[in-house]
This record gives sequence, structure tokens and C-alpha cells, in this order.
Amino acid sequence: MFPKSTLILFATLLTVFSPADALWPQPRNLQTGSTALRLSGGFEITISGSVHNAPSDLHAAVLSTQNFVKTDKLGRLVVGRGSVDAQVVSKAKSLSKLTLSLSQGATAHSITSEAQKAIEDRDEAYTLTVPSDGSGATLTASSTLGLYRGLTTFSQLVYYNDGTTYILNAPIHIQDSPAYPYRGFMLDTSRSFFPVSDIKRTLDAMSWVKINQFHWHVVDSQSFPLEVPGFTDLASKAAYDSSSVYSPSDVADIVSYAGARGIDVMVEIDTPGHTSAISKAHPEHIACAEATPWATFANEPPAGQLRLASSETTQYTAGLLAAVAKMFPSTLFSTGGDELNTNCYAADANTQEDLVSTGQTLEQALNVFTQTTHKAIIAEGKTPVVWEEMVLVHNVTLESDTLVLVWISSDDVKAVAEKGFKLIHAASDYFYLDCGGGGWVGANPDGNSWCDPFKTWQKSYSFDPTANLTDAEAKLVMGGQHLLWTEQSGPQNLDPIVWPRAASSAELFWSGPGGNISEALPRLHDVAYRMRQRGVQAISLQPEWCALRPGVCDLTA
Amino acid sequence: MFPKPTLILFATLLTVCSPADALWPQPRNLQTGSTALRLSGGFDITISGSVHNAPSDLHAAVLSTQNFVKTDKLGRLVVGRGSVDAQAVSKAKSLSKLTLSLSQGATAHSITSEAQKAIEDRDEAYTLTVPSDGSGATLTASSTLGLYRGLTTFSQLVYYNDGTTYILNAPIHIQDSPAYPYRGFMLDTSRNFFPVSDIKRTLDAMSWVKINQFHWHVVDSQSFPLQVPGFTDLASKAAYDSSSVYSPSDVADIVSYAGARGIDVMVEIDTPGHTSAISKAHPEHIACAEATPWATFANEPPAGQLRLASSETTKYTAGLLAAVAKMFPSTLFSTGGDELNTNCYAADANTQEDLVSTGQTLEQALNVFTQTTHKAIIAEGKTPVVWEEMVLVHNVTLESDTLVLVWISSDDVKAVAEKGFKLIHAASDYFYLDCGGGGWVGANPDGNSWCDPFKTWQKSYSFDPTANLTAAEAKLVMGGQHLLWTEQSGPQNLDPIVWPRAASSAELFWSGPGGNVSEALPRLHDVAYRMRQRGVQAISLQPEWCALRPGVCDLTA
Repeated sequence: MFPKSTLILFATLLTVFSPADALWPQPRNLQTGSTALRLSGGFEITISGSVHNAPSDLHAAVLSTQNFVKTDKLGRLVVGRGSVDAQVVSKAKSLSKLTLSLSQGATAHSITSEAQKAIEDRDEAYTLTVPSDGSGATLTASSTLGLYRGLTTFSQLVYYNDGTTYILNAPIHIQDSPAYPYRGFMLDTSRSFFPVSDIKRTLDAMSWVKINQFHWHVVDSQSFPLEVPGFTDLASKAAYDSSSVYSPSDVADIVSYAGARGIDVMVEIDTPGHTSAISKAHPEHIACAEATPWATFANEPPAGQLRLASSETTQYTAGLLAAVAKMFPSTLFSTGGDELNTNCYAADANTQEDLVSTGQTLEQALNVFTQTTHKAIIAEGKTPVVWEEMVLVHNVTLESDTLVLVWISSDDVKAVAEKGFKLIHAASDYFYLDCGGGGWVGANPDGNSWCDPFKTWQKSYSFDPTANLTDAEAKLVMGGQHLLWTEQSGPQNLDPIVWPRAASSAELFWSGPGGNISEALPRLHDVAYRMRQRGVQAISLQPEWCALRPGVCDLTA
Repeated sequence: MFPKPTLILFATLLTVCSPADALWPQPRNLQTGSTALRLSGGFDITISGSVHNAPSDLHAAVLSTQNFVKTDKLGRLVVGRGSVDAQAVSKAKSLSKLTLSLSQGATAHSITSEAQKAIEDRDEAYTLTVPSDGSGATLTASSTLGLYRGLTTFSQLVYYNDGTTYILNAPIHIQDSPAYPYRGFMLDTSRNFFPVSDIKRTLDAMSWVKINQFHWHVVDSQSFPLQVPGFTDLASKAAYDSSSVYSPSDVADIVSYAGARGIDVMVEIDTPGHTSAISKAHPEHIACAEATPWATFANEPPAGQLRLASSETTKYTAGLLAAVAKMFPSTLFSTGGDELNTNCYAADANTQEDLVSTGQTLEQALNVFTQTTHKAIIAEGKTPVVWEEMVLVHNVTLESDTLVLVWISSDDVKAVAEKGFKLIHAASDYFYLDCGGGGWVGANPDGNSWCDPFKTWQKSYSFDPTANLTAAEAKLVMGGQHLLWTEQSGPQNLDPIVWPRAASSAELFWSGPGGNVSEALPRLHDVAYRMRQRGVQAISLQPEWCALRPGVCDLTA
């Protein structure tokens, strides 16, 4: 039995532990003090005169950061919100300036061009210092991309209360760079279409947690919303409707919007499966188009795959991929390669004729098809990216620098690494955002989703990127990403299904594994609340009562 | 192996079966023909002169329906959308009028007052006739509430293509009335707060599927956002913040908005558990307020329950409930009663002293508490509503007309019915919208939600309201509802987590059980698409490719 006074003591004690900063992803080296600073009314971010020919996207990033500092108006997540800081802030020294500079000898290229470099060549490191005496804060990096990452960090330091913006915990010294060079997010715009504005808002949110790769699964069997120069009949016949199309100028707009936010856009044209939509314009290239029962011919309706044994279809595909490759500056291009269905080809008279006439097996034909299509994108300067089946299921010769997306299960990572391929973590058992919402196929009353249960942020956050790998194999891990397949998603639930969950992999692959979920949760609340202030509908992970009381709603608290 | 021409034939055959109407809930008697009708430019809905003193909310409903007819602009969900109807519609006769009248002898009371009647007294029946020759459509009912339901049905008949609104399948004759008188939706506004605008939008969506009861779980342990006259210290001290409060005028606004849409508002002040928030203003009334470890004293943090053995607390609670009862015209008032924790009282010195001094057991004290508080609301003209534990777990004497909400499991329905109480289906295994999103308690890496898995619309739709009940027991079933507990929800995901899923119980309890999920799916797509046209972010249940091809994405198609 509790004596009454003890109960009251409990209630008091439980509310005291709150982090005074809530950076996400957590910087890899962070030193903080305990001095508060008010941002002066004329607080300004400037680019040092030593940065010659500062690119326009860096200027834009500076303006955007100044704007966030003013408009975020985020009250700190503690009981009483910002009012608890009011007294200390009222007496605080004033910070009037943040100055950006590049390290000696560095040239100011655009953020965009730095972001679009090959994975290994991206330089995202930065050093941010906020002195406690009110003298100017400084941000230095050896690339504009590093400066961009530092600006993002700076904006997360700022809180608001009653007309005042302020920073706690000065002096602050951050030396930061990512643990992994690829930190992505994949969106499927074929099962459901997303207007450009949704994609841009998603790119904004990605940039706030330092995600640097947008993996755009732009087309699939259900619809073909990409208008490709020279292949415009695909979108005109297989987009859901004429307004559900990404024109070349939409693509350029998205690529440039992403680039200015430190994000590279890797497009995926999934081949030879997942291509039923092409049959709307070119039935001659598609085997088993919309054949039934669909479950015999595809993993989901509608069935339909490129006639990979046909030299005409192979030429057509190579031409299509090359044309798409020209639309995207990235060095990466995904040709897909998942879920190839052999029944479809067995049942397709054309394919069988082609195999007989060339004396090839299906696997041999797939090898020719893959080599031809990969050659076409390599000629455009791209590095091919494939889903894991292309190295684990099929007997296909791939370039040694091909990047492999592991999706079926994290158990398959080891096998891909053993084959010596660089890989991206995208495993359904950790990173699929669509799992757990019930099956979407009709006439299936008890259907749960194939990848049940729902992947919580804690699950993704606890992933070990190098589990069971040797040191040499571990070096093949380029990073990872969350993925949203959109059979049950659309503009209506894009933000709530993605955010703040996808931030968990963003931190995992920037800060490195081993993070503690109890320590992370208060910071992740901060991510969600700040996103909302910026217009992204990130959901609540807990009742606000818990969000304001770090640790108090823990399982054993 | 497929011969090639067969494949093409398959693709053609599969797209032909589409319903030409998509009413939801399905009317209980529906006869349709095959004639299309264009709505004339001056299409008008009028109230017959025989309806004397038509109430203002009926006039508003007429205007709102006319507005939906014009602004829904919903293209029919078939391949090609509305364009497939263009030819038939271009030659169609024109419909210029829908006339509403009351059956002879009926008096025109407001929709609001009809909706706020006791459950058994609500009259929602209507007859809607749309002749095929272009002569005026007619809607008759014996109450304005019936007319309102008929208007809702009428608006669902209308599709749009290329500047023309039209109805298919005339002549249409509908005689309709609900299978169950209580069709509800519960929203928790304590774990996270929802602005009035979110609640109004939800009431709109509810009305479109003929839900007639808003169960408002307005306060709980986490926050107390209800400003109660005479008890304003509760909201001022225990709301999340001063802007997260429902004032009496907000409540009146919500009640009147609901009433005009045929919806009654049943408020819930959950007692004696789930009341930790009251401790912020009145610590003297709350046992084990925010005590730890919370799991010992409550099902979720923070702990805290009314000191039910204290006569002062009992009186305070009765006064509070009476004051809240005055704010809501409904005949129903829920006093909660779920998840009472006995450890909390065992550890509370005050409660133990009270029990000793009165010589009561805790159960006896609970009985006194319940009878006193129920008497207070009965005096305000209310019928008490309780969660199932009050009849299945506790030994409490309740009025025989007390309504019981079955939530823990549908397996408990039989036991409640055997005790002779009227009941509402609200079982977590069928109707909880929050399940399946992972556990929300912190420091729990593998935590799934306690009521996993996600409850799909198919699961709810397949529920049998009278399973295992005798004929006499079956008469105790008043209806049912979906419920949204908001530990992981807020304004950010309200629409996507509720719609169109909650429409499945709306049809189940209007049209009656036994519906077929394959038949229902195309109509439910229609619900979701029409909701989006009206500004509610209902999610996609399938890729649009499937939504336009009924049956083609079924499991065995």
C-alpha cells in the first residue's frame, strides 16, 4: 500500500527527464553545454565571402533555413511546453549570425550536382559550432552538400516560445557525417498515382531527416504514368487518366527540387515482370497480359510480362530504358527484376516459339535480355540496380558494380553479399511501410497482408545492417531505405503512413546501428511535431501526454 | 498453354461486370431498371406544399443535397469512367425534379429532434421513386429524419461525365429502413485532441453512410478537453493546452451540426477509471494519480481513478455528470466503467480508510457509486450506457434499461444478453480501428498492438450480430459501431484510419448481416471515391486498376 505522500512524489519525479535538444538523425559527434541563446530579431544566415560563386541552390537553402527558424514555432516537448524555458531564455545572450564557409581549397558546386554524384563520391560531412557567448555560429564543410546537411541540423536546434526563438545547450559543437552513403525512400506511383505536389512534400520531409536518395518506382503493371520522349503512347494509353501523368517537365521539376534538397532521384523501370501496363500500347511485347487466373501468372493482378525471349521486345525495352535514363541525371538506374513468373512464359506461344527458334532456355534468354538492357543504360552512364532475385534466383551475368536491393527478407542479405555485390537494405520484414493493413485482394474476408505484421519504427530502428556479415561483406552495405508500395495508399494517407516511421531508417543509416529506442522516442516525437509545423501530416506515436513526458509511458515505467 | 487469341478474349471479358448503382448502405428493398436519365440544368429538390412548417434543417438538407448533386462530379468506377455512359446519357430523358413529402398525418419536426429521440423511437424509413420517363422523382417518409436518409440515398445515385450529371437504372424504387436503430462511431478526443472542424468533417462522412450515433469519448486519463459549466477547472488544468478545449458553445455547435445530419451525440464521461486527468484540478478525488509502475495500477499510463468509496468524490462525480448531461440533448449518456484496477484502490490509503469506516467491500462501494452517479443522469432524463465490465465483472445493480457496450471481445455478447441487457456491438476483435499499428508504449521494441491484427473492412462486414443468441436475446441487440481510440491517431490520420472502413459497420447494421464482401467491394470503392470528392481523405482499398474492374482483383479471379 502506498502512503499518500509517496504517490505525490512519484508524480513529480517522473516529469523531469527531457532532452534539451532533439536532433534527428543524431549527429555522430555532438558536444553540448547548458547555456541558452536567444536568436536576435535580425538573425541572419550568411555565406562567407570566401565561398566564390555560391550556387543558387545554396542561396535557396539558406533562405529556406532562415524561414524555418522563423516559422517552425515549435514549442519544446515538455510539460508546459516552451514556457518552462522562458526565464532562462529571457536572460540569455543573443545569437545574431550563422556563417557558412567551405574548407580551404574546396570549390562551390551546386548542392544538386553534389547530391547526384555516384554514391561513394558524395560528401555530406559538416562541422557546426554554436558558441555560448553569443558570438557568431559557424558551419563549415568541404562541399555545399555538407553545408546543406549542416543547415538542416541547425534548424532542428531552434525552439519557440511566446515570440522568442532560442537554442538551448550552447556551446554546441557538432562534427557529423553519415555512416552509410545511401539513405533512401521508395515510392510506388503506379498502383496509385501521386500528384507532383505530394512528391515534393515528401522530398521536403526526406531532406529534413537527411535522406539522400529517392527511389522512384514510377511504373508497374497497374499503370504507366511516366511520359517518356519517343514512347509517349505508354502514358497516353496506360496512365490511369490523362491527368495522372508525369510529363518530362514534371520529372525535371521533381529532379531539380530533390537535388536542391540534397536528394538524388533513382528511377526504376521494373523489367521484365511488372509490365502489364505496356500491353495497353504494345500488346506485341507482353506475354499473358491480364491473363486469368491472375494468381497463376503473377504475384498480383494484372498479369503481364515483357516477352524477354523476343529480340524485338528486347530492343524495344533497351530503347525505352535508354530514353528514361536520359530523363534522370542520377548515376543509378533500377531495372527491377523481381517476381518473374515462369508460368506466364510457359503459357505464351510467342515466347515458346522464340525459345525454340533460338534454342535457348528461359534463363538463357533472360540473361541475354538483361545484358542487352543493362548495356543500354550503362551506355547512358548509369550503374544498374536490381532486386535480389536477379542474383539469388536467376542465372544472369551482371556487371560487378551492380547494386542489389534486398527486399524479400533480411535473411537474404548474406547470400547477396557472398556473391560480392554491393547491396541496399530494403527488406520487407523491416522496412515495408504497407504491411499490416490487411490484404487488398478482393473476395478474401480473412486476408491479412502478406508481410504482416505492421513494421513499427522500433522494428526498423533496431535493424542491424551487418548482421552475420564478414568484415569484407559488411563493406558491401551501401545503406538502406523504407519503401511504400501503394496498393492501399494514395495521396489520402501518404504522409500518415510514411512519417515519422521512415525517419527511423534515416537515422539508422546516418548515425549507424545500435541506437536505443527509449532514447530515440523523445527525439522522434520532435521530428513528428516539427514536420507538422512544416505542413507534413506525421502521425502521433503516443498520446500527447506521453510525448511531453519522456520515458513515463515506457513499458516498465 | 494459352493460344494467343484466348488471352485477348480474357482481357475483354473481365471488364464488363460493373454495378450501375453503388448505394451504401444497400437499401433493404431496391428495384431498378435500365434506363438512363440526365439531370436537367435546373434540377431542383423541393419540399411539397403538403409539408407544413418544414423545419430549417430540412431546408438545409435539401440545399446540401442539391449541392452534392452539382459538385460531387464523380465519374463512374468503370474502365473509361463516365465516358462509357456518354452515348446512353446523350439520348436520355431529363429529370428535373425530386419532391419530398411526408406521409399523411405526419408532422414536420426538425431532423435534429427526430434524430435525438430515444433509440427505439427513431423513424428513419423512406420511400424513393425515380420514374424512367423523366417525370418527377418522389421521396416520402413519415418523418423528416426519413426524408434526410432518402436524400442521402438520392445523392449516391448521381454520376458525372463531361458536364452532365445523370442517373442510371431508372425506374428506381426504394423502400428502405434500418435493420438496427443504433449505428454509431466512437471517437476518443482525450489521448489526442481533434479540432471542431475535424469532428464536423467526420459527422459529414458518418451521415453519408447513414450512421446515426456519435459516441464521443471526450475525456480520459490523458487529458480533459471538455469545458463543463461549474467544473471549468478540469479543462483549464487538464486539457493539453488552452486551445485544445471544447467550450460549451463548441459542444452546442457539434450537437447541432450532428443533429441536422440525423446524428445523435452520446457523450461519455468514463468513470470511475480513466480519470487521472481530474487529479490536475482535484487531487483529492483521484487515487494512485500517475502512480508507478503504471502497469500495476492501470491498463495504460497515466494511472488514476476516482476514489469511488469516498462520499465526497461520489457527490462530486454525480454533480459533474449532471452538468455534462445538461450540455447534451441525447437520451443516452455513457458513464463508462471499463478497466477498473483494484491494485490502485488497495494501494490508496484514503480509499482503504473510507472502506473501513463504512464497512463496505470495494464492490459494495462501487455499487453505491454507480447507483448515485446513474441516478444523477437519470434525473437529467438520460438512459445510462456502460462498458461491459459493469455487468460481467462487477456486482452492480443497474437500471434494467441500461445499454451495454461490448468491447473486450465479441465472445462476451452472449453473456451480456443472458443478463437481459440491451447491447451495442463494439467488440475490439471486429470494430477497433486502431488495432494493428504496433504497440505505442515506449521501450518495447517488438511490441505489437494488443488487439492485433488490423481489423479489415471485410472482417467487420462479416460480423454476425446475433451469433449464438436466442431469438429473445437477439432482440436486445440495438446495433453497433466502429471505434477509434487515439493513442496513435490525431488530426493527421483521422480520415485515412476511419474511412472507408467504418462504412462497413454502417451497412452491416442498416442493411443487416449476411452481405457478401465481393459484391460489397465495388460499392465501397464508390463510397471512398465519393468521400474524396467531398473532401474526406478516404483511402484506397485497392489500386485504381482494380477499383475500375469489379471482381478482377478477387483472390480467385
